[in-house]
Amino acid sequence: MVAIIEKRDLRDFDWLTALLAVAIAAFGVWQIHNALPTESYWSKQIIGIGIAFVAFLVIAFNDYRRIIDAAPFFYVAGLILLLLVITPLGVTVNGQKAWLKLPLIGQFQPSEFVKIPTVLMLAKYYGGRKAGSLSLKEMLIGGAIFAAPVGLIMLEPDAGQAITYMPILAAMFFLSGIRIRYVVLAIIAAAIMVPAGWYVGVKTGKIKRYQQERILAVTNPDEVDPRGYGYHTIQSTITVGKGGLAGNMGDTETSQSVLKFLPEPHTDFIFAVTAENTGFIGCVSLLLAYALLLSRMIAGARQSSDRAGMLVIMAIVCGMIFQIFMNVGMALGVLPVIGVPLPLMSAGLSAILSTFVAIGFVISVRLRRFVN
Amino acid sequence: MKIGDHIQNLGLRVGVIQGLAFLLLALLGARLYYLQIIKGGYYSDRAESQRVRLIPIPAPRGAIFDRNGKLLVDSRPTYNVVLSNEPLKSVNVNDRVDDYSHGLTMDRQFVVERLNLIKQQNEFEAMVLKENADMRDIAWVESHSLEFPELRVELQPQRHYPLGTTLAHVLGYVGEISPSQLESDEFRDKGFRPGDVIGKGGLEQYYDEYLRGKPGYRKVLVDSRGRVQSELAVVPPQSGQDLVTTIDLDLQNEAEHQLATSVTKRGTIIAMDPNNGEVLAMASAPSFDPNIFVRGSSTQEGRAQIAAYWQDEKRPLYNRAIQGRYPPGSTWKIPESVAALQQGAITIQHSSLACGGGLQVGNKFIRCMGNHGSPALTPAIIHSCDGYYYRLGLKMSIEGIIKMVETFGYDHRSGIDLPNEKVPQTPKTWMPYILKHEGKWNDIRTAMAAIGQDTVVVTPISMLRAVASVGMRGKEYVPHFLKEFKPIGAVGEEGDVTYIPPRAGFSYQHPEPKLIELESDQWDMIIKGMWGVVNAGGTAGAIRMPNLEIAGKTGTAQVTEVGKDSGKNKDHSWFVSFAPAYKPDISVIALIENSGFGASNAAPAARAMYETYLAKRPAQPGQQEVAAK
Repeated sequence: MVAIIEKRDLRDFDWLTALLAVAIAAFGVWQIHNALPTESYWSKQIIGIGIAFVAFLVIAFNDYRRIIDAAPFFYVAGLILLLLVITPLGVTVNGQKAWLKLPLIGQFQPSEFVKIPTVLMLAKYYGGRKAGSLSLKEMLIGGAIFAAPVGLIMLEPDAGQAITYMPILAAMFFLSGIRIRYVVLAIIAAAIMVPAGWYVGVKTGKIKRYQQERILAVTNPDEVDPRGYGYHTIQSTITVGKGGLAGNMGDTETSQSVLKFLPEPHTDFIFAVTAENTGFIGCVSLLLAYALLLSRMIAGARQSSDRAGMLVIMAIVCGMIFQIFMNVGMALGVLPVIGVPLPLMSAGLSAILSTFVAIGFVISVRLRRFVN
Repeated sequence: MKIGDHIQNLGLRVGVIQGLAFLLLALLGARLYYLQIIKGGYYSDRAESQRVRLIPIPAPRGAIFDRNGKLLVDSRPTYNVVLSNEPLKSVNVNDRVDDYSHGLTMDRQFVVERLNLIKQQNEFEAMVLKENADMRDIAWVESHSLEFPELRVELQPQRHYPLGTTLAHVLGYVGEISPSQLESDEFRDKGFRPGDVIGKGGLEQYYDEYLRGKPGYRKVLVDSRGRVQSELAVVPPQSGQDLVTTIDLDLQNEAEHQLATSVTKRGTIIAMDPNNGEVLAMASAPSFDPNIFVRGSSTQEGRAQIAAYWQDEKRPLYNRAIQGRYPPGSTWKIPESVAALQQGAITIQHSSLACGGGLQVGNKFIRCMGNHGSPALTPAIIHSCDGYYYRLGLKMSIEGIIKMVETFGYDHRSGIDLPNEKVPQTPKTWMPYILKHEGKWNDIRTAMAAIGQDTVVVTPISMLRAVASVGMRGKEYVPHFLKEFKPIGAVGEEGDVTYIPPRAGFSYQHPEPKLIELESDQWDMIIKGMWGVVNAGGTAGAIRMPNLEIAGKTGTAQVTEVGKDSGKNKDHSWFVSFAPAYKPDISVIALIENSGFGASNAAPAARAMYETYLAKRPAQPGQQEVAAK
């Protein structure tokens, strides 16, 4: 591998993006430590970041075009993994069968990784098309490529993870020249369908009581069962608010997570821990770091030498911004509690690995901006 | 690839996505600003209030002593099993009933009551579930701390009455504040919480605010399940002030003994220093054990015992000395004699009235016990001549008797420092009622009122106070138990928020005695009569003591009309006295319910009190001569 790293590669390598990603991940390790100082999640996360960084370098210094060529292979492999999850090989955690335990590799979450083959597969398909508006046939084929993994994830069932796939398809359609009127139409349809679907769902009982309460808890956590579904939202909001301007810098005595008021502090609610410990200053710095990282990635997309590269980057960007918004919105009590990890921050090998691999693709695309 | 080269506005579309990304991040930033900067203080407080708990440390109550420093009441440490509110919020308390009642060997019903109480009072942290926990209970709680994190064991002082039934009515007892008391004006704004222990009855109630200390607290950090993680601060409690009473325990024991060995074992004996109103002894029989109220309210047997006290026909919970109202009978003749001289119904020179063996009033003849001729005041007292007093009463008229009621203060409470004192009923209170129902006040009522019957019922304390004032030649003092409250030191550093200032000691603030005006030789006339009752062959001649000159008056108060006066309707036996006769140091009243003649029951009980008194204080030379005049 070292052989293919040429002098020019080092010159054109996007150091800033890599540095930002590692910096955010390191900041995340500190927060995981703050969340549960007596547990070993933070040290495991360091190991995870190490592994992820190696994977990142491998992807970054390989030509993404060759990988995209091999996309059907990865895609099918991904689907097989997702199928295995539904078989008895799958491991049930918190009532969801989203994990797979394989010999040698250990336990991991395929739905985190399958995002990348899905992105590559879609990028391969849409990257080859000519200019012009997206046709219905193209939309259907893309939709089918997308539907296979998402459908399997829904069977687990892991609705939260499935939702994080949505921006991938949206980005693909939007940047493959879907007509603006369809976009407008989709927005209008959503504006009508979501409340209507909610109403029908509640009336027919398709949306179960606990699902309703998760949603309602956001609008009024103190009223809707503050000991039940509202509890997570209330405690997260308290934790964030408690941080104030500068946070309390790792004061474990009053820590909401150490005292077990904040649930899942090292994964889903890592942002609340960050808010408690580093305050408004730390949170805004983190959001700015994300903004900078995303800007860098988008700049890479603009400079991409081909359409497929651009699509890969933008799909990853859309996936990341969506996850950041869902996760932080949940921590701030404005979105329902859905188990979406915060990219680069939440503890978990699968998530950190897939995020670094994704960023690896971004760098790889950017590295080859002049190659044609 | 240079996106701008393509059609479909790709560059613009990427720009839209970037703009959207920034917009979403900005929205999150705005929400952060709201939560952390605008509402930061609010959420910080909320976080603190859910992790910090104040666990009260009860303050020991002040001890109570007799005048010689003998211990009457103290507090001893006991272990209580305490129920915490916070962890219970997330469980169905009904699931716990069987666990608790089985594990702590408690009455199931009581556990249910406790759980209901703590559910209603959910703003408070904790409440005692079981008092006097033994080692087995403590071990059970400790070994189930994971299963029942809401339980913990706390060391708490518990009131202890080493004397048992002795002095019980005066001391009272303590108990948990009741829900209705919590709501009442008296307690509402004083920061009481359910489960607080307050004085109930007696000195415990009257001086509660001084006896009660200020509780301290432990400030602890708890996790989301309410388990204590660490202690942040301890604010120690301030003990209550020690109370030194005027009680003389030896005299008290004698009084209790006299009642216990009396014919009916029902009655009251009070001893008082007439020079200042200090009560030396106050016994009321039958009595009760205050310890049962303190310990028993949480056990079935204890509750049964308490219920039995309430239902007992002999009324053991009732302090006969201040709550019992009895017709005074002939003891009434002493204040009446004073009033007659005051009002001029008789004079020193002309105090004789006919006995006549009784008096015909209208169509009714009311008898005298003997035929005393036409005695002067002194022999009339010595022989307790009813005929004399029928005539004296009619001469004074009912207005004169009412005036006497006012002179001696029978129309209000004595002012003793005990709660729930009853006011005597006299012709003054009966007059409006009789006039309304009978149209007029009959002479027969006046004649009966003159010998302390019919419309007169008084409390023993009011009678003692009045007669003691005769011994003091007109100075009527307020009877009281408080000698002094000891000071108590400050807790903590001055200037701290938790600082509790010291409490100063103080002694009883004597109000000015009420003055009853009479000439000195008029007093002599009455006191000589009382002296003669014991020392000159009077009605209580049998209790004469060689070394102490008692001045007294017997009374035999009819419970019902003559002829039916036997068994439980037997007359009440009174003896009210002071000694030495002409310079009294002690005044004693004895009342034995339904025992018959005053001379044969109450008077010997009073004599026993004087003997105990004398045994403690050797007779001082010179008193004999004074008495002889």
